[in-house]
Amino acid sequence: GCNRGKEEKKKKESIFDLSKYIDKPIRVKFQGGREASGVLKGFDPLLNLVLDGTIEYMRDPDDQLKLTEDTRQLGLVVCRGTSVVLICPQDGMEAIPNPFIQQQDG
Amino acid sequence: MAATQATNPSQLLPLELVDKCIGSRIHIVMKTDKEIVGTLLGFDDFVNMVLEDVTEFEITPEGRRITKLDQILLNGNNITMV
Repeated sequence: GCNRGKEEKKKKESIFDLSKYIDKPIRVKFQGGREASGVLKGFDPLLNLVLDGTIEYMRDPDDQLKLTEDTRQLGLVVCRGTSVVLICPQDGMEAIPNPFIQQQDG
Repeated sequence: MAATQATNPSQLLPLELVDKCIGSRIHIVMKTDKEIVGTLLGFDDFVNMVLEDVTEFEITPEGRRITKLDQILLNGNNITMV
């Protein structure tokens, strides 16, 4: 069985390997509703990220799916891992029809 | 830090990049619609930052808010991007 004495050995193992995304364009979402995309140049186990050629998108009440409004070019940035809520590749996403719409029959 | 680096060290570490910016003007984006521009004097493991000659911006009303000189300690809790 596990040997848990007075010492607790904590291994910082990532459940997700980001090295396969290095030099690839990714999309990142943050707490507070910000989104950004850029090329992943580096990261650490705390999920701090280095993104290059970063484009930031900000959400308005009008925004929702429109990400073309209020974009900013930020260049080389460090993203705080404490603020990151989602990381995904830029490819491999598509819009689907809303699966939650319920049709009410009178 | 106690965390062992399972990643390849030949890539760019985020905190190394921040370290390279010490002495330069940097632009910090908070979780809210607030941004801070200033000269980076230093930071710690939690990325709390000490800045100088600081200007604070509110992005939505599009106005410069306060220009603060001297030095400030910026709490890293709300920092989203550097």
